[in-house]
Amino acid sequence: MEKSWVKGLNYKFIILFFAVLACVVLSFYFGVIRRETVVYTHLFYVPIILAGLWYHKRAIYVALFLSFFYTLVTYPLTHLSLDIFERIAIFVVVAYVIGVVSEKRAKVEEEITRGRDKFHKILRTISETIFIVDRDLKVLELSKPQLRAGIEMEGDMPRRYRRLPPSPVIERKDVIGKECYKVFWGKEKICDDCPVPSIFETGAGARKEGSFVLADGTTMYLDVEYVPVFDEKGDVIQVIGDMRDITGRKQMEERLMSAEEQLRETKDYLDDIITSSADTITVVDMNGVVRDWNKGEEGFMGYRADEVIGTSNKKFFADPEEADRIMETVLRDGELKNYRTIVLRKDKKPVHISMSAALLKDKNGVPVGTVRVSRDITKEVELEEKIKEERDNLKLIFENMADGVYIVSNEYEVEFMNKVLIDEFGNQVGGICYKVFHNREEPCPLCKNTEVMKGKTVRWEWHSRRMNKTYDLIETPLRNVDGSISKLTIFRDISERKRMEDELRETCERLAELDKMKRNFLSVAYHEMRSPLAPIVGYASMLERCELPDKGKRYLSIIEQSARELEKLINRMLELARIDGKKIELNLESVYISKVVAEVAKDLEPEAKEKKQVISMAVQEVEIQADRQKIVAIFSNLISNAIKYTPEGGKIDIVVEDRGEDIRACVSDTGIGIPEEHLPKIFERFYMVDTSLTRKSGSLGLGLSIVKEYVKLHGGKVWATSEVGKGSKFFFIMPKSYKQ
Amino acid sequence: MGEKKRILIVEDAVYMRDMLVEMLEQEERSYEVVGFAVNGREAVEKYKELKPDIVTMDLVMEVMDGIQAIREIKKYDPNALIIAITALGTPEYKDAALDAGADEYLWKPFTIKNLFDALEKLLRKREE
Repeated sequence: MEKSWVKGLNYKFIILFFAVLACVVLSFYFGVIRRETVVYTHLFYVPIILAGLWYHKRAIYVALFLSFFYTLVTYPLTHLSLDIFERIAIFVVVAYVIGVVSEKRAKVEEEITRGRDKFHKILRTISETIFIVDRDLKVLELSKPQLRAGIEMEGDMPRRYRRLPPSPVIERKDVIGKECYKVFWGKEKICDDCPVPSIFETGAGARKEGSFVLADGTTMYLDVEYVPVFDEKGDVIQVIGDMRDITGRKQMEERLMSAEEQLRETKDYLDDIITSSADTITVVDMNGVVRDWNKGEEGFMGYRADEVIGTSNKKFFADPEEADRIMETVLRDGELKNYRTIVLRKDKKPVHISMSAALLKDKNGVPVGTVRVSRDITKEVELEEKIKEERDNLKLIFENMADGVYIVSNEYEVEFMNKVLIDEFGNQVGGICYKVFHNREEPCPLCKNTEVMKGKTVRWEWHSRRMNKTYDLIETPLRNVDGSISKLTIFRDISERKRMEDELRETCERLAELDKMKRNFLSVAYHEMRSPLAPIVGYASMLERCELPDKGKRYLSIIEQSARELEKLINRMLELARIDGKKIELNLESVYISKVVAEVAKDLEPEAKEKKQVISMAVQEVEIQADRQKIVAIFSNLISNAIKYTPEGGKIDIVVEDRGEDIRACVSDTGIGIPEEHLPKIFERFYMVDTSLTRKSGSLGLGLSIVKEYVKLHGGKVWATSEVGKGSKFFFIMPKSYKQ
Repeated sequence: MGEKKRILIVEDAVYMRDMLVEMLEQEERSYEVVGFAVNGREAVEKYKELKPDIVTMDLVMEVMDGIQAIREIKKYDPNALIIAITALGTPEYKDAALDAGADEYLWKPFTIKNLFDALEKLLRKREE
């Protein structure tokens, strides 16, 4: 402004100044020098009009100044004639009129200018991008110096949109005077869908949505509303385009669409799940009417969706009031979890179900119904009932057991006690075991709960000093229906048994002691029995040397024989007592079996002869490491047995084979034989096949047991075969060299 | 045969003692009973006193048993000839008696033949 004013001052003021100066100079020349008064006054109108045009009413000051000067110059000539006043008046009037008129015009111009500025200013500040095109589609005006894509183009737009990438800028100067299709749409010729030409034809506004790819590869979306501008004749002269950058919105829309797509897919997926679910999913409204039903006939209920949707849900329940109860519960709690009830199938067959339900609310939070998921748990219920039944059975058994039975949970709570326990401790079910049974404040130190909870079965003995009783406890884990584990304890009062065991042990010890005493006694007794035999045998042997009548000799031989028999019996018993008492040591030496057998046979020959028996021997020459006396005893016992049990005229065979590592001996007879059932026992001590027979033959059943002991001592084994009425065979095997 | 062998009989049972005497009398040209003892201590005293050639020693006796007596006699006279005569018919006693120093062992009951066999065996052993 300042600058333009100085500029205006410069050329307008200088022209005016020179015009006024020219008028002054001319007036002075004509008035003072040439003494003329009329001609030069017309010149005065030039500065007055100029001043009037440029400075409006201030032209009056120019007119008055010129009038004063004119008067001053012409006064000596005219002396203030009327003519002078007339001219002054004309000057002033002209100046005034021109000043007013020019002032008005200036005002109008100023208004127009201001209006146009305002329009542009508005145009540039509004959020939409407005441009004006003419008939040739040239851009006349663009409302913004620059155009940004996206809704962030205004500086004070919400920050959350800022994350949109900034788009390239269209500069105003690049746009003005150029074809709109080039600058806005990036095309070489008019767009196919351009509505502008038709707007010029019809005068009707139009809209176009379009997009173009910017230099940076991003797509810009524009929504353009075209409005015609009419001149006073009603013709369209320009078209204003209201261009909105809808890139952001488009992007949002796209994202929204893809989100919707995903949502739809998710929903389809969920629908699939729901449809294929083994569970029945129903939606029931507040009036108990089924609104949705996921299952076809294949569902466990047997209903098709179209049969039940729109009907009351009461008919499903075995107890129709159940429907209301469920609804009340869901309304009260907002949900229902694993609720068990019984429903009726289409064919009226009851089905156990587990139902979970949730309250459905509309967007204002008002309950509109419930969605229920029901699962067929018939099998589980049957299983549970079976388990329960079994547990009840178990409990029944426990109840009637003489042993104490109780069950405690893993929290030490008593869950069950049987009658025996209740009779003794009172009913403590629900109590804490260590409190009610042991008066403790914490679990007993010996408690096996932890081990049992790990799945172990523990058996232990517990002695209660307080009660002076001993218990045998079996504690075992018991799996409950809900998967938790309880401890089942069966305990038996074994105090009596313990006492008896102790007694038994004492008795055993005493018996062992007695046995030892008996053995010692027997040992001594047998020795003592031998002592009186000594004079019998001794004197008998001396008597032999005396002269005796034949009768006397016979008597003497009977005495001697009986004494020998008695000695043999005593020796055997003595030997057995010795075997029982302690381990027998073998007195090992080289033993020639054939010699031993011949010796024994010779010894026993008188007996055999007496019974007219024949003893035959087939003994191989063999030498073994053994206790000679024991080998003698073995053969002696076997052969004398054979003689004893074989009737007169019978046959006795002795066979000994050398088998390399060992020898095998067999003593067979043609005697009475041994019944098969007795065979396994004949080697047992004091075993007698027939007590009457034994008595008759004079045996205590010791011989074979001695044979067995001796053969065993040598590391061999002995056995027998027999046929009743035909005879028996006694075998033994013995290693040739004794091994420890 | 040489001179008679002098024998000390150690035996607490009278009937046994008498029988031994009677048996030995049957061979009176060879044997002579010079004394008796009824227990081990007496046997040791009598041995020291009589210096017999042979001692017949019962093992089960009061005051001092035969085993102990054998041991003491042998200690006193390692050349003493002792024959243990006992009803204790098990090898353990035989071993014990032989360990203590007995030269022979005779089991009851025995015949007159058994006795003289044992005595002869004893004397043969000494001569060797």
